[in-house]
Amino acid sequence: MNSNSKRSEKITNALKTGDDISRRNFAQKLLSIATLSSLAIASVPEAALAWLDGGFAQREDLADALKVLVKTYSDTRPYPHKFNDALVKMHLRNLDFAVRKGLWKERAEHYVWTLGVVVDRHIKKGIEMFGKEAFLWGNFERTSCSYQLYEHINIKEGERSFSCPFKPILDQIQKTIGTYKITWDDVHNKWCIPVWSGFANNVGVEIKVEPGEVCRVKVV
Amino acid sequence: MTQPERRNFFKQTIKWGGALTLFTVLNSPRVVWVAGPGNPLQTIKENTFLQRDDLADALKSLYMTYDSTSPYPHKFNDVISKGQLECLEFFISKGMDKEYVAHYIAVMAPVLQNIKQGVEKEGPEKSLYGLFEDTSAYQLFERIEEKPGERSFPCPYKRALENCKKWLPNRFTMEWKDVCNKWCIPTWQGFVKVIGVNIAVQPGEICIVKLA
Repeated sequence: MNSNSKRSEKITNALKTGDDISRRNFAQKLLSIATLSSLAIASVPEAALAWLDGGFAQREDLADALKVLVKTYSDTRPYPHKFNDALVKMHLRNLDFAVRKGLWKERAEHYVWTLGVVVDRHIKKGIEMFGKEAFLWGNFERTSCSYQLYEHINIKEGERSFSCPFKPILDQIQKTIGTYKITWDDVHNKWCIPVWSGFANNVGVEIKVEPGEVCRVKVV
Repeated sequence: MTQPERRNFFKQTIKWGGALTLFTVLNSPRVVWVAGPGNPLQTIKENTFLQRDDLADALKSLYMTYDSTSPYPHKFNDVISKGQLECLEFFISKGMDKEYVAHYIAVMAPVLQNIKQGVEKEGPEKSLYGLFEDTSAYQLFERIEEKPGERSFPCPYKRALENCKKWLPNRFTMEWKDVCNKWCIPTWQGFVKVIGVNIAVQPGEICIVKLA
């Protein structure tokens, strides 16, 4: 059995059981990383564990993923749907309920507390080793919470920017069904900013957010 | 070379001539033109997927997701499943899960009314189509099996909840059955009440929703 089929079998088993892939396999993968930058990332072992680890070609569940992608991008009425459509709508719906109930602050805190485990486990170490930039890295391009939400993340030293995914969908909802009470300002002030600031506070980093159609987050 | 008999020649003519005629008919331009739906000259123009110019970002997101295989293999519906679970956990802990479900049904009312109209025109099957295939909710389910009067799909929450409990220790106290009984079932039942049909839900690793 060659190494690719072994890897494929491990991924398949993990898909079936939800188990993690072994440290030994991870160590093997690390050895194959050639570039200095990759080695630098890999030196934060747990942080590197879940990200772009080269398993794509061994996945056996790509057909379903591609079918959903084609279905999504074939769906152009009443507006062109994107891969993040349902996720954006879920966040907006949850925020609408939390705002109506006056619980938006507590809800944002709960989200930060829940995912703070990951931030504490990975990002803190990254900041100690690489500085504040690791916060932006960990909060944006490194996590599926962001790369499944933002269509495109622009990466600059000390800054990340991306098109706001919430504005077009909220506009569309207000235009067609009109049942939400939240405004776009609520999305910035009662969700995005408190959540990012909460994560930043956890690791002792200060950020500045410039909300807009292109939203910018900078470390200060 | 023997000279063909008149009778044999006639048989051969019928056999080969007939075959040739059939072949010609099958390959006539007319058959080619009507083979697919619509005007074939417009096929590419009318294919909504092929007209998209934002596929690169979508493919990059997909690649990043499926190239991340540890500590567990990520899927396109990971974040939506986990996000839903995190929010449900919060509102269950507040004792507000019923209100949370009621809010979802209320904000969806105009959409559900449209589905209701479809059901009145085309029958109850339209309700399953409206709730599953014809909404971006299909981004939540990895695949949806369609049968008359029934939809089934792998539960996206079971695996997500197991991963959340394992990798985010002490953050999730609800059980999988809470997701079925406090979220999926009351939400779908609330939706179909507005639409005006009845359903039966069989929760499980493969969840089945049937018209009742």
